[in-house]
Amino acid sequence: MKAKTVLTILMALMLLLVGCAKQPPAGGGELVRLGDEPSTLDPHLTSDVDSAVIVVEVFGGLVTLDTNLKVVPDLAEKWSISSDRKTYTFTLRRDAKFHNGKAVTANDVKWSLERAADPKTLSTTVDTYLGDIVGVRAKLAGESQEVSGVRVIDDRTIEITIDAPKTYFLAKLTYPTAFVLDRDNVEASTEWFKQPNGTGPFKLKEYLPGELIILERFPDYHLGPARLDTVKFFLGGGTPMVMYENDEIQITGVGLADLDRVRDPSSPLSKELHTATPGFQTSYLGMNVSRPPFDDIKVRQALSYAINKDVVASTVLAGRVKPAYTILPPGFPGYSADLTGLRYDPEKARKLLAESKYGADPARLPRITLTVPGALGTAVGLDLEAILAMWRDNLGIQVDVQQVEFATFLRDLDARRLQMYAIAWVADYPDPQNFLDLLFHSQSINNQTGYSNPEVDRLLEAARTEPDETARFQLYRQAEQIILEDAPWVLLWHPGEGYVLIKPEVKNYLLLPIVVPRYRFVYLEK
Amino acid sequence: MGAYILRRLIWTPILLLIVGLVTFLLNFYGPGDPVQIIMQQYQDPAVVERVREQRGLDKPVLVQYGIYIGNALRGNLGESFKYRGQTVASLIGKRVWVSSQLGLAALILSIVLGIPLGMLAARWQGRWQDTSIISGALLFYSMPVFITAPFLLMLFVLWLGILPSHGWGGLFDLRVVMPALILGLPGIAFIARMSRNSIVEVLSQDYVRTARAKGLHELRVYWHHVLRNAMIPVFTVIGLSLATLVSGAIVTETYFGIPGIGRLALDAFFARDYPIITALSLMIAAAYVLANLIVDIGYRFIDPRIRYD
Repeated sequence: MKAKTVLTILMALMLLLVGCAKQPPAGGGELVRLGDEPSTLDPHLTSDVDSAVIVVEVFGGLVTLDTNLKVVPDLAEKWSISSDRKTYTFTLRRDAKFHNGKAVTANDVKWSLERAADPKTLSTTVDTYLGDIVGVRAKLAGESQEVSGVRVIDDRTIEITIDAPKTYFLAKLTYPTAFVLDRDNVEASTEWFKQPNGTGPFKLKEYLPGELIILERFPDYHLGPARLDTVKFFLGGGTPMVMYENDEIQITGVGLADLDRVRDPSSPLSKELHTATPGFQTSYLGMNVSRPPFDDIKVRQALSYAINKDVVASTVLAGRVKPAYTILPPGFPGYSADLTGLRYDPEKARKLLAESKYGADPARLPRITLTVPGALGTAVGLDLEAILAMWRDNLGIQVDVQQVEFATFLRDLDARRLQMYAIAWVADYPDPQNFLDLLFHSQSINNQTGYSNPEVDRLLEAARTEPDETARFQLYRQAEQIILEDAPWVLLWHPGEGYVLIKPEVKNYLLLPIVVPRYRFVYLEK
Repeated sequence: MGAYILRRLIWTPILLLIVGLVTFLLNFYGPGDPVQIIMQQYQDPAVVERVREQRGLDKPVLVQYGIYIGNALRGNLGESFKYRGQTVASLIGKRVWVSSQLGLAALILSIVLGIPLGMLAARWQGRWQDTSIISGALLFYSMPVFITAPFLLMLFVLWLGILPSHGWGGLFDLRVVMPALILGLPGIAFIARMSRNSIVEVLSQDYVRTARAKGLHELRVYWHHVLRNAMIPVFTVIGLSLATLVSGAIVTETYFGIPGIGRLALDAFFARDYPIITALSLMIAAAYVLANLIVDIGYRFIDPRIRYD
């Protein structure tokens, strides 16, 4: 090839590159959808999904989750873990910037973590997500100004020491409590988060509480800028199906009432219907194992064996949920597809009940009251009605339902006053520890059934520090198997977004089971 | 008259103090704890205790109330529990304005349509026009929002396509039409029925017969003798409904995505957001006191026989 040709090609390539850099990325425009009012946009105060979906787009931390839910670098480009597996050394990216162009330094990281742990910040999530870091609890208790476990080595290097080897620690750092904020921004005003200076793929362009949120692409985003120009969330509510059909919004979930109409192949909407993967959550009926009749494992098992969840899921709930046979939801790290759980077997259920200390006669069974949270006299879910009917038909057990307003429900749940209760657990970070250890370790504050099994405790404790992922997940698998057999829960569903309508011009909107930054991948194709 | 108004105004703060205290006591002794709701299933007792302390919720209820009143007098209504980091004033201020505008639009609609309809029905008393107006009014009065709202949405948005389905742009924006109509319908019906009954009653009075016997023009009879007397009960209803302007309309606001006070109030209740609940109770109580006062003063002008000494 002649030199001139090479030069021409090179120049053409350079022009192309310059062109790319100057022109807005293809597929831009505005994505419009409904959103729920966030409780806060301050990452360190964020504790709910409605806040997190906005916060993860505007802010970022050292690490994030990719769309495969793996922990990947965000503001940190790499990290190393010491041989005792207690010290993490992060190296920050050179090109990591706040929205105002200021570079992110190790001091910003340190200041942010210390702000989260400052009792004056009033964070309710800091104990859970950052409590493993040495010195966080001392700072929270007001015993120390600094967090001793966070050390700035130089501008781009920060060292974090935790109290014991914990493999799931990195996953916790993906939660907004660990996000990096700009001190000047935060100290500027009390409602600073209405004009935040974050590091995420989108800037907060406009926030009118109760009305709308507009996110705008941050062109210098270090992981590659978004393609959309703006994302608009209507916060005021409205009638989603009408708005979607009237082209006022581009994405909406589909409720049970509209599902048949939308699914009808003759409806043009049926082509815009997508199925979401089940969310990383598990709904269940918890049983207080110290209260009769749940103090007998056979009664607990019988209740699980006596319900046909496949039928309820496919008929009553129109396939919007997946019946749960394991505690960890499908697709969740550590999920074992081969765990069968307690499947429908009415014969076995009757046999177990007969063998229990209460005997086969349901009249001798202590009264069972199922408490469900609800408000404004909402009906008990159809799924629960079906399950109650199955218990009645298969075991002759009559379960009373008591509906309690959510605040009261939480109080009684916390005090372990409820005999049997319906609730769901939603994953906070993708690690089996978030389900199994938190909910079933005998010493965990979240263990509301009072379940206790020394063998399970031993396995869960071993898994906390096991460095090898395969071996660790194996430990969780063994623990989960024992818990399933001990049946402190009647597992119900892995619910999800279910069915979602997406306008054909919206491309690459990923239906993910957990909150991760997702709008930077979306583009519009007219 | 002046002394009467002054007396009423002096009583207002005392009344508000009592309303505030009752709200505080109900918050305090009622079930549910705002911190537990924020913490959801993460109920680490140490953390719950810490947050309660930070929020001042560990103090005796009367001390909390005293602190609240002290701050409120300095214009500080506190910070929301649910919407963390946001002040009560910033959360309520704009929403009250939106709700009042919507309420006003509905009220104007119900007066402008309700009174003439009532007059027409009274005019044709006992004839088919009367029956259809009054039974039509009854029908609309009994129709709940969750029937009228989807119907109007279908009509104006999906079939005719002339109105946007949701949002808010103030009184002079197309988006006010449907919610104002829905909120106004019961008002139209109520005022129409009330005006009709009241007018019919006045029409049978002796002085109306006298006026007619004098040979006065029918319009003059209506305007001078009938309406003025018939409107007193109607005026009471309208005056008192002024207070509801600030309390918002939960279902309608939610249906049409209007950033008003109703939705905020509902969420605040379920989140046990005490600062918001208390501020709203005080505001609504104050609105009722004010509306009552307006009605009382208004009587004086409508009916000179009424005196306050």
